[in-house]
Amino acid sequence: MGSAPPLPTLLVVPTGIGCAIGGHAGDALPAARLLAGASGCLITHPNVMNGAALYWSDPRIHYVEGSSLDRFAAGELLLRPVRRQRLGLLLDAGIESELRQRHLQVADGCRATLGLAIGPVVTTAVPLEVSLSLGASGVSWGQLGQPEALLQAGRQLKAAGATAIAVVTRFPDDPDSAGLAAYRQGSGVDALAGAEAVISHLLSRELGLPCAHAPALCPLPLDPELDPRAAGEELGHTFLPCVLVGLSRAPDLLPHPGSDQAAATAVASTLAIDAVGAVIAPAGALGGAAVLACAERGIPVIAVNNPCLLDVSAEALGLQVLTASSYAEAAGLVLALREGIAPEALRRPLLALR
Amino acid sequence: MSGIALTPVLLQLERAPGPLRPQIEAALCSHGQPLRWAITAVQPRLQQPALLQVEAIVCRRVEGG
Repeated sequence: MGSAPPLPTLLVVPTGIGCAIGGHAGDALPAARLLAGASGCLITHPNVMNGAALYWSDPRIHYVEGSSLDRFAAGELLLRPVRRQRLGLLLDAGIESELRQRHLQVADGCRATLGLAIGPVVTTAVPLEVSLSLGASGVSWGQLGQPEALLQAGRQLKAAGATAIAVVTRFPDDPDSAGLAAYRQGSGVDALAGAEAVISHLLSRELGLPCAHAPALCPLPLDPELDPRAAGEELGHTFLPCVLVGLSRAPDLLPHPGSDQAAATAVASTLAIDAVGAVIAPAGALGGAAVLACAERGIPVIAVNNPCLLDVSAEALGLQVLTASSYAEAAGLVLALREGIAPEALRRPLLALR
Repeated sequence: MSGIALTPVLLQLERAPGPLRPQIEAALCSHGQPLRWAITAVQPRLQQPALLQVEAIVCRRVEGG
């Protein structure tokens, strides 16, 4: 790689919209690793990085929960890299005893084997009553019957010294559903993803801490035809390891000081949206808050061919974008931007100036 | 005693000139505080602004929560 300084880059693969890459168990992670190499600094969200039992830790990748990513893109938050976070573990009272023990053992395993700082553990006062649904477009959404109980447990963890929160909630088992069968065969949408996003968004926004979610589910029977993209979720008893690893070095979330020069100087080591040089998103899913906020600021938007349920394209929204047929091509565009090469110089025809 | 409730919202919004994000957030604010949202469809119309379909979850304060 050349000597050009890093080009902070946002990678967004929206959750629960059935993306061909990033619609399953952290299967956009290879693309994220490539883009981290090309940019030298990648900011992305748990849906990209979480492969249940599988994960990858790279100091060039900043793991930022989706609503915090939206607020970062809107200029409301700064990111401050840290050596480590102290992870509070928030468990839903609706998790059965044995399943709860499995999650505690994952946390202990991450302490013993990976050296992560985990604890305390807080259990919600009542079961959180998670439900799953599909929106009008077919994308996955979800609900939480007891949001206040989630927030109370989160506040307890914060008061006890947690600087980031891993939350595990009991999700409804539906082993015989057609949707789950399709997902395991590599099609359809991740039915859990929308509810997961709602939970982590609520907690992170209310507490101002990095948060990420793992669903607690009973194990599924063996499927010999399992799609490789779903395999990460069937290796263990929980989806928790990737969340703990991702959060362990997630950046702190700081309110943007605005025009206060003294405060701005005090947070000089942070990352702000002004430094971001590109945002990458699926070409059919450009209608999310982070991408629109970046487009408003004139940050180059790279629209990647990554088929999904939606058709919210640059043309439909009237956005100017750079198109890429794959994440490999997107990485080339990021590298070009990092090196100061005009992307149009790499394409033909190159029209004459008039 | 107050608490919060999460509510799904489905909006059809006529696009106005200017940046999209503030338009959407303003429209959602009449239902509650937007927690998560996305434009999930765009319907072009002849000689009229496009119609945006927005799916969202908003957060509302409720009494007795």
